[in-house]
Amino acid sequence: MSNNVILARMGEVTLKGLNRGNFESKLKNNLKYRLRSFGKLDIYQSQSRIWIEPCQGEENPYFQNEETATEILNAVVQVFGIVSASLARKFEGGIDEIRQNAVEYMKEYLKINPDHHTFKVESKRGNKQFPMTSPEISNEIGGYLLENFDCLKVDVNKPDFIFNVEVRDFCYVYAGKVMGHRGLPVGTAGKGMLLLSGGIDSPVAGYMMASRGMMLEAVYFHSFPYTSDRAKDKVIDLAKIVSRFSGRMKLHVVNFTQIQLDMYKNSRQDMLTVTMRRVMLQIAEKLAQRNGCGCLITGESLGQVASQTLEAIQFTNEVVDLPIFRPLIGLDKEATCEISRKIGAFETSILPYEDCCTVFVAKHPKTHPNRDDIIEAEQNLDIAKMVEDGVNGIETIII
Amino acid sequence: MIYFDNSATTKPLAEVCDLVYQDLRDDELWGNPGSLHELGTSAYKAYIKAKEDIASCLSVREQELVFTSCATESANTAIRGYLSRNRRSGRTVITTKTEHRATLSVLEKLSSEGINVIYIDVDKNGCPDLDMLKNSITGDTALLCFTHVNNETGAILPLKEIIDIRDGSNRNTAVYVDFVQSAGKLKIDLKASGVDLASFSAHKFHGLKGSGLLYVKNGIRIDPFILGGGQQNGQRSGTESLYLLRSTALALKMSQEDIEGHLKNVSDINSYLRTELKKRGATILSPEDALPYVLNVSFDGFESETMLHCLERYNIYVSTISACSSKTKKISYVLEAMGVDRKLATNAVRLSFSRFNTMEEAKIFIEKIDEIYQLFALR
Repeated sequence: MSNNVILARMGEVTLKGLNRGNFESKLKNNLKYRLRSFGKLDIYQSQSRIWIEPCQGEENPYFQNEETATEILNAVVQVFGIVSASLARKFEGGIDEIRQNAVEYMKEYLKINPDHHTFKVESKRGNKQFPMTSPEISNEIGGYLLENFDCLKVDVNKPDFIFNVEVRDFCYVYAGKVMGHRGLPVGTAGKGMLLLSGGIDSPVAGYMMASRGMMLEAVYFHSFPYTSDRAKDKVIDLAKIVSRFSGRMKLHVVNFTQIQLDMYKNSRQDMLTVTMRRVMLQIAEKLAQRNGCGCLITGESLGQVASQTLEAIQFTNEVVDLPIFRPLIGLDKEATCEISRKIGAFETSILPYEDCCTVFVAKHPKTHPNRDDIIEAEQNLDIAKMVEDGVNGIETIII
Repeated sequence: MIYFDNSATTKPLAEVCDLVYQDLRDDELWGNPGSLHELGTSAYKAYIKAKEDIASCLSVREQELVFTSCATESANTAIRGYLSRNRRSGRTVITTKTEHRATLSVLEKLSSEGINVIYIDVDKNGCPDLDMLKNSITGDTALLCFTHVNNETGAILPLKEIIDIRDGSNRNTAVYVDFVQSAGKLKIDLKASGVDLASFSAHKFHGLKGSGLLYVKNGIRIDPFILGGGQQNGQRSGTESLYLLRSTALALKMSQEDIEGHLKNVSDINSYLRTELKKRGATILSPEDALPYVLNVSFDGFESETMLHCLERYNIYVSTISACSSKTKKISYVLEAMGVDRKLATNAVRLSFSRFNTMEEAKIFIEKIDEIYQLFALR
């Protein structure tokens, strides 16, 4: 018999008061959705844990093989609300069965973690009918493992790993845990419209808001032929990466070419970026309202580029009524890159197609625009029509 | 569809596809040419026949050809194999900065292994500095590496002059020439050329990808690159792919039919495009006397990739060599070596033709360029 159950621990959710039930059922639903490609699974909760195992009486090939079981485990820890998870072995019986299963589990565990040498055993006894106390179980199993594995030593202060035994209606053994992404279950904090560009920052911003329980939709501004269709494919790929955490999302692709050309021809070069941002935000807001989103999300970080100075942000912020969340505003690039790597977006983000054609970026953009600059830049533009055209010319892709 | 990207690859001829299909389906030619039974023997005979056909197109002997998987393999084998086999002929290689990456990468690696690589300058037409070449060849010069027709500009190598310089300076210096862009477009007489090693690629003359040729002149010895069962006289192990070789032979043979007529036709297309594009403010980066099958042109007001995508809208396919990323713009190293202005190089697009392109297509191309300027020009 192999490992046959995943034990997932909930974090912040358990601190909720009267709402806790809503958060928990959302979390279970999200797990169900995230694990939909792994066959039929039972997902149930007891106390502050969630257990995931094959439906009773049914074979689940994904659990029977170590590699795919680990895939399930890795998917579980990507669901917001889960703090950590472990692959465990569930069985019936007394101390003899616990001994036997502990040894079998350890064999597998040491294959995957050959550098782990010191351990301690922790036991929990939910079933008070069990004839041994928790410390007794720990002593017994610790001793038995030492007898069976020459490479192991006990270290109760700083062990490489903790070996857990739990005795409830069934018995469980497991060791080690994979850390999750914490946060709150997606769907418990409304929905936001993410401005997704294809760079490093915006997928991270989406991830961060989703970690607070927010559902996402995304909008991307496409300027073919100035940006290639590969750039669009890349944005779709990034949306897929974010959706591993945030769940299903819609990606709205705005055909931005004509709008950008009009701006280029009829507006001040050094103000192009700010003007463009103002139009983008208005289009995004319209799409947000149309799709039930309560906020906009951007990957802006203060001072990173010309359009992200305080003045530029003031002037872009003022064109919309919805709140704009900027989770990266106080992060430096390195910190953002770190998160990007953690969520597996970095390699895709740095593919070269983004902003391939920098023709629309002025050589010396205005970094500290004032009101007069804004008025002058927009005086020859029919902004309302641009926004309307943008909203009407969208292609929506379900990710 | 208007396909002006024939230097990247060409469409396989229908005849080639039919031949491949038949060879694979028929009961006669799927044997291993190395097998001793009848099936193997008939495969072997067909194999030699195909090699002879190719040899006669290139004016060489069948034994002087090695069948490879691509021209890059041919370049690797020729350069590395020659230098490792002929250690006493010297440790210096002379080349230019405008070679194909297949040559340059091999030489970079060899340079890190102690080979002395001298890069001679090219002029604004992409022609190597022949005086510099003359002065650079010494008793230590083992190999010269050049390209017959440059894949980005169509610049034609003064091959005869180079061979004369070699003959006058050090007859022991071998000459490797990349014929990838000229095969099937210019008549090639390898024997008369004086070249010692040469590479070819079938998919550039309407053959199939996965098929390359290496010419090793009789008397020249090289170490093999791929070791194994000793096929092809030990020069390139691995079971010979008969259908690929036969398809290459057919494609090459068909490319020789009316080769002059096709050249004339493409020259007309090329000069028409040069005239019309210049009228529209574009700058021609290919030299005047380049092979007309390649036309490198810089469009005012369009970065290379933007123009590529604009043309793509009309199902017109061209190529950019310069790649731009969000921060830095990389320009073509070939154009850079020719001293082309950076701004012009940033906007460079390569049109490359085949014998199947027509003047009508060129005219449509110009029409669409006018439309693109109206719709998308930033100037």
